[in-house]
Amino acid sequence: MPPRISLFSLARSIPYRTKPQAQWSVQPLVRAPQQCRTFADSKDSTTAKQTDANAQPLPHITEESAKTAKIMGEKGPDISQGTPVEEVVKGDKEMQDKLPKVMQDALKSKNSQSPPKGSRSYSTTAMMTEGGDMGLADMSQSTVVPAAPGAKFPLPSLPLPQGSHVKHRYDGIVEQVTNLIMRHGEKSVAQRNMALILQHLRTSPIPTINPNRPLLPGAPPPSHLPLNPVLYLTLAIDSVAPLLRIRNMKGAAGGGVALQIPVPLGQRQRRRTAVEWILASASRKKNRSTYAQKVAEELVAVVEGRSSVWDRRNAIHKQAVAARANIVLPRKR
Amino acid sequence: MPPSSSLRGVTQLLRETVQPSFACRRLGEVQQTAYLSTSAPRFASVPKKKGLTAAPKKGTKTLNVKKGRKQSGGDTGKKPAVGERKAMRKAVVLSNNNALEVSSLKNLDNENVLDAEIAGKVYGIPDDAIDALRAVDAFKPKQGWKLFRRPAVVVRKEAMQLAQLIKEVESGSEGAKKTVRRIITGERMSGKSTLVLQGLLMAHLRNWVVINLPEAQDLVNAHTEYAPLQGSQPMQYTQDTYTANLLSQILKANKQIADLPVTKEHSLPQPLPPKATLRSLIDIGVATPESSWSVFAALWEELTQPGRPPIMFAIDGLAHIMRNSEYLSADVKPIHAFDLTIVRQFVDYLSGAKSLPNGGIIFAATSGSNSPTVDALNFSLQCAAARQFAPEKMPRWNPYTNLDMRVMEALKDVDTLPLKGLTKEEARALMEYYAESGMLRAKVDDGLVGERWALAGMGNIGELERTTVRMRV
Repeated sequence: MPPRISLFSLARSIPYRTKPQAQWSVQPLVRAPQQCRTFADSKDSTTAKQTDANAQPLPHITEESAKTAKIMGEKGPDISQGTPVEEVVKGDKEMQDKLPKVMQDALKSKNSQSPPKGSRSYSTTAMMTEGGDMGLADMSQSTVVPAAPGAKFPLPSLPLPQGSHVKHRYDGIVEQVTNLIMRHGEKSVAQRNMALILQHLRTSPIPTINPNRPLLPGAPPPSHLPLNPVLYLTLAIDSVAPLLRIRNMKGAAGGGVALQIPVPLGQRQRRRTAVEWILASASRKKNRSTYAQKVAEELVAVVEGRSSVWDRRNAIHKQAVAARANIVLPRKR
Repeated sequence: MPPSSSLRGVTQLLRETVQPSFACRRLGEVQQTAYLSTSAPRFASVPKKKGLTAAPKKGTKTLNVKKGRKQSGGDTGKKPAVGERKAMRKAVVLSNNNALEVSSLKNLDNENVLDAEIAGKVYGIPDDAIDALRAVDAFKPKQGWKLFRRPAVVVRKEAMQLAQLIKEVESGSEGAKKTVRRIITGERMSGKSTLVLQGLLMAHLRNWVVINLPEAQDLVNAHTEYAPLQGSQPMQYTQDTYTANLLSQILKANKQIADLPVTKEHSLPQPLPPKATLRSLIDIGVATPESSWSVFAALWEELTQPGRPPIMFAIDGLAHIMRNSEYLSADVKPIHAFDLTIVRQFVDYLSGAKSLPNGGIIFAATSGSNSPTVDALNFSLQCAAARQFAPEKMPRWNPYTNLDMRVMEALKDVDTLPLKGLTKEEARALMEYYAESGMLRAKVDDGLVGERWALAGMGNIGELERTTVRMRV
């Protein structure tokens, strides 16, 4: 009698994705050094080195750090003087636990002044693909091109600085948001609204950042934001932009149930999603006069962590984390 | 026949015809009994079964008011109150706390305002002058004041011409002071309203009396009440609420005249207190709008007494008062704007029919964005420009246009003050101020200045602001 549980049918119910272009491979860039020794390797090369290093007794801690600093090319501590205990235990959790209470308290109070760590439950750091530009207009001219013979003026140096081309005179994100604001193809109205939004951002008071809703890492201090409204806008949008979306694969979970598969978004897609959320929650407001003002206030609310858009983003991320088992990575060779 | 049967017939009759209360009173003693009848159950409406409604007919629309159909939630904030949005639209914001303080910015004051050395630089407006200018509505909501820390103006070439005019008026000998009349012309966004503001500012700093009609349209669009002026021939009309408001603005902006004594006898509806000052005179007009015009006339008479300061009288949006107003006379004919008392007061001095004994400037600005087409005004301005700059090329009157003769007569010999673009040096000073305020994020060098100056249509100041500071290129 054959076994009642068929292994083939079991394997068939496991979902997997067949589209090769939608897959991505997670491979570490730097391979860990080989732990195992092949037959060709000499048997005691590493151990010999270790014994050499370990043969000497450890120097005094000040001498050690001076030696380390010398290797790193920095200025180390003065060997003639002692090293303060705080410096010695810096970054060493185990040693800090063994410090006297007074010094532990002092350390703690020092740490509490630093910005609080994020309470977000997922890592949301995104790679900047545009080289950390953050929307600052580059007004500087590039190198001067030698004059063409016979011409009155020299040729312009390429690429043209931002703002010099009539069709690309606005920042990239400003252009994208303008197009998303546009209704019925009325781009000029959208541009006017965009200008009003930026003007509102630059005249509104300095935002107070909510530590529970951390903005992008590396964000400038909030006092810098109103003076650079494009950066303000970029920061608001990129901070709430979701990293993923949930793709429902119909019937893949069996029994007509859709299988949720998290799919990463590109930068432009992420921004688009965030802007659409912001615009939707702005147009639900009743209390302000103009659309531009509503959108601008929503952007300020995003930066201050008051906006409901944050919850939406967190919900998506939570769902994506829950559904991450559904991702099928390509088989490793 | 038993009596009961006849009675029964009567009750039946009464039940049908008379009111039941009446029937009860008359026939209270008659015993009411139920008679055998099958009509009641026959005509009774059939009770509906619960939860069973007939399906709607095909093609008919039904009202669907299910709960949860409409999106609940969202913002529960208050809706704007009546007039709140208009107030927001008209609000004049004069400072931006985010903008950086410009350390090199000096203030205009009584001494330096007429100096030649302030030309081409940006100067701040002192606080008391800001209050005065705000009181006379010289700041407009669409101007870019809200982007900077505090209001400042660039002293352009035309402002220096204005300063020269002020000097001329002040240097006139007692009794023979000049009355200067000018109409500011120029393209849209070339800074005409701001030049009026600068004129008012200079006059205020020189302790002149400052009177401003901030928007000529408000005088003629029939939004304020009007009344015929008794004893005027031809009929004139006063605008009492507007005049009362104007009087209160004059009092707020000109603190220096408030304590001057009233020197003449005036026929006012209310008696003046003994040893009255101009403040008490104006207060009467503010408190009782019906008497505001006679108070205004009395105030004007007081201001034109010898020894009183010169007057700066300005209006913005001149074209509106150069045609018929929206008001109607008693025989339903449109009232010409010149028949409104305040407008007539202004036009008399603008046309030169009257002159100010203590000297002064009558200053009118045309508007580029809100002005009706008035052929007579346009033709007069062309003539004035030709008279000043090219007398050999006097324009000819087009006989096919309808020219208003009253306007032609009034603007016969008024000079214009044409506003052109900024020079590159002025543009550079302005852009350096923008950059120091943190509103322009670029290095201000010759390349940038030249580029933006050209983009702004050869230094049109409004366009320059738009290409450098505003986020709309």
